[in-house]
Amino acid sequence: MTRYLATRFAGAIVTLFGITLLIFMAMRVLPGDPLAQISSEGQGQYRLSPAELQKARASLGLDRPLYAQYGSWLADIARGDLGRSFWRGEPISELIMRRAPITAEIGILAVILSWLIGVPVGAYSAINHNRRGDLIVRGILTFLTAVPSFWLGLTLVLVGILYFSWRPPLTIIYFWDDWRGNLQIVTGPAIALGLGLGAVTARLTRSSVLEILFDDHVRTARSKGLSERVVVTRHVLRLALLPVVTLSGLALGGLLGGSVAVERAFGVPGLGLALVQALNERDWMVIQNLVFLYGVLYTVINLIVDVSYAWLDPRIRYG
Amino acid sequence: MEYRDKPSVTGGAQAAFLGSAVRRRGVLTGAAALASLATMAPVAFAQEASRAGLQRPSEPFPKRGGSLRIGFGVTTAHFDLTQGGSASALCHMYNGLVRYNLSDGLRTIVPDLSSAWEISSDQLQYTFMLRSGVKFHDGVVFSADDVVASFQRIIAPPEGIVSVNKGIFSAVDKVEALDSMTVRFTLKAPRAYFMDLLADPANIVYSKKVLDENKGDLKKVIAPGTGAFQFKEHRPAERWIMERNPNYWDAELPYLDQIELIHVPAWTDRGTGVLSGQLDMSWNISRETWDEGAKRKAQFGANRLGNYGCYAVMFNTKRGPLADPRVRRAIHLAVSRQDMITAFETQEMINLTRWIPYGNPLATPSDEISRLPGYRMNKKDDIAEAKKLMAEAGYANGIKGLDFCVASVAAHAEILGPAFQDQLKQTLNIDCNIRITERALQIEDEQKGNFDIVLDTPGHTMGDLAVIGNAVFRTGASRNYGGYSNATLDGLLTQYEAATTLDERAQVASQAQDALDADPPWFLVGYTFHLLMWRNALKGLAFDYRAFSQWGRVETAWIDS
Repeated sequence: MTRYLATRFAGAIVTLFGITLLIFMAMRVLPGDPLAQISSEGQGQYRLSPAELQKARASLGLDRPLYAQYGSWLADIARGDLGRSFWRGEPISELIMRRAPITAEIGILAVILSWLIGVPVGAYSAINHNRRGDLIVRGILTFLTAVPSFWLGLTLVLVGILYFSWRPPLTIIYFWDDWRGNLQIVTGPAIALGLGLGAVTARLTRSSVLEILFDDHVRTARSKGLSERVVVTRHVLRLALLPVVTLSGLALGGLLGGSVAVERAFGVPGLGLALVQALNERDWMVIQNLVFLYGVLYTVINLIVDVSYAWLDPRIRYG
Repeated sequence: MEYRDKPSVTGGAQAAFLGSAVRRRGVLTGAAALASLATMAPVAFAQEASRAGLQRPSEPFPKRGGSLRIGFGVTTAHFDLTQGGSASALCHMYNGLVRYNLSDGLRTIVPDLSSAWEISSDQLQYTFMLRSGVKFHDGVVFSADDVVASFQRIIAPPEGIVSVNKGIFSAVDKVEALDSMTVRFTLKAPRAYFMDLLADPANIVYSKKVLDENKGDLKKVIAPGTGAFQFKEHRPAERWIMERNPNYWDAELPYLDQIELIHVPAWTDRGTGVLSGQLDMSWNISRETWDEGAKRKAQFGANRLGNYGCYAVMFNTKRGPLADPRVRRAIHLAVSRQDMITAFETQEMINLTRWIPYGNPLATPSDEISRLPGYRMNKKDDIAEAKKLMAEAGYANGIKGLDFCVASVAAHAEILGPAFQDQLKQTLNIDCNIRITERALQIEDEQKGNFDIVLDTPGHTMGDLAVIGNAVFRTGASRNYGGYSNATLDGLLTQYEAATTLDERAQVASQAQDALDADPPWFLVGYTFHLLMWRNALKGLAFDYRAFSQWGRVETAWIDS
């Protein structure tokens, strides 16, 4: 196990190194320059002279060779310093600290919701496969899978406004400051994301349960006289959840980075919206560091998912 | 000509506003303002105070306390107004020498840090007597030195400082302190809009002490001001909180304990924010939420205000067929503005305007515009004339392959751009290829002249022809990206700037607009409305009868809880 973890950890480091290189180069290769925005300040009434542009470029460290810029970025990361926004000058770590809790809450709640919906519904559908209940459930699941989460989000907001004159708060409220206000912010996006993810989870659970339902070990469990409920919960679901764990892990990795469309639909000032704003402003430092953060999240969550396999399936051993 | 506090004759202040202090805006909109004010008894309350050079809410019996929540995009790259920081966010903490009057819908200019002023008969010297007893938020006493330092930095910024308004202050020869409470601006040539420049919320007075301490660069400093509100908290791209200045020089104001500027980038979210009671107001919201608020009159107020931003298709006059004025004129005539406006109305309300936007007194009235060639609804004669011009220019069979640069904003790339493209094809057989660029990158293409035509949204701080013309239309202007050059227009702009009487300016402005119609640098779709909405509990800002959109100060606001 230790060796396996060490190997995976080394792989993660290489992956993250690759991510930093890719995003750094992408920002420099793609057209667009933070100075194009900064030079048109004040509605573009004043155009910076070439000398002023050069000075601004130097002040942002953009006049140095690429390898020097990249090297100093990596050194900053190693020191835990994520730098400052080109555009607003605020420390990026502060931006992440302010926005990440809301985004993380939405992601975690969405995944929990997807399990609460997806696992029982999927199991029910598998156990009653091809019966009327299964057909209805599958129809609903297909609908929920097809509906984009941002559309669902917009619908929730519109219904709230038009019928109840209510919409989620526009400013960040943390759970520890005001849990009621906080839940008003995160519940809607979590539902919008969780329903779609729950539908996919249910479909995966259904097919996985169906696959295992007729395995030898399940037949053996039944022949021992165990009740169907015990057979399903102890001998089927535990194995059937392996792919679901993988799916949820990957989904969580994505959601922790922020769902841009849903954050936009609800007007939640999370990490996803921060990334979009940074892209619009060509704020390279913010983009680089947020993408790096997402890379770290993905890598860590994948590692956790892999390790959890052994707990879920006793047949799996890491050598 | 002069304006003084507490005139002895009733109505003298208004007359003074109209006669001298606000000649341009005051004279032309003042009549309408007076007419509307006469029908509004509560406004008399505010008028009395205005005559004393003080701002008061338009409704009587204001209540104290509470927090005003304003939703709009309040990001600012830095905190220095002179260098282009967002006045919408920062203006609440500062004062200018003069300001637009909140109680009459911004129709007149009233004192702010000045208490009186005199304008020399040749209109080259503006002398301001300053208000006494004013302190900055850090306790430093305000004096003429602060005014001189602030405006000197705008007019002649030190090395390394970018003054975004340097160009429009170029007529100022010098600014000097005559004594500790008197300041004089000397102009090289008369500028009829000079008081409007001073009233702009971006041209405020900083503390000389703070300027000196920071070597003239306040980009990273939230400098103490003299304003009704002082800094409390700032979370970038999230919110500002400013609290009541207990030592404000006008002891009556502000009524609110604090104002909260909430960053809500999406128009729809701002609208739903007001509808749901999470915001008390927003300067510009989406059309559908504005319509919804306008229906609920018991709860919300809604007004649409002319502003100084427009939608325009700019021509690159340096290359290809668009170098020929006849082709540009043909497009100006043939494309239906009404159809473009209708196509876009679900996104943003565009006015049928000429080159001077509504909100400026010299704007051509809408009924007159709607009868002009190119602007009228019936296109039959215009299209015939346009085809004739195309034939004369050698393009009787149309034009192929124009490069049409459009920003990747959905409303531009999916509605306005294709609508214009289709109209060119249908009316003049002009084929253009839409090239989508990211909005952030469009400015680069424009600056390099990498386009035949480009859809853009130019904006201006003022609606004055000289300010607009010198920024975008004059030969060699800083934002004249299409390389447009029209000697007649240049001459008229010079003439307009030097004009000292209203009649003369109106006449020259009319000629300049005719010159632009005859040889258009852009296809001007139109200037837009800002869709303002507020909760009815919000009082004191005269939103119902504002003359134009200004995302500015709110110290007369109060909440009727």
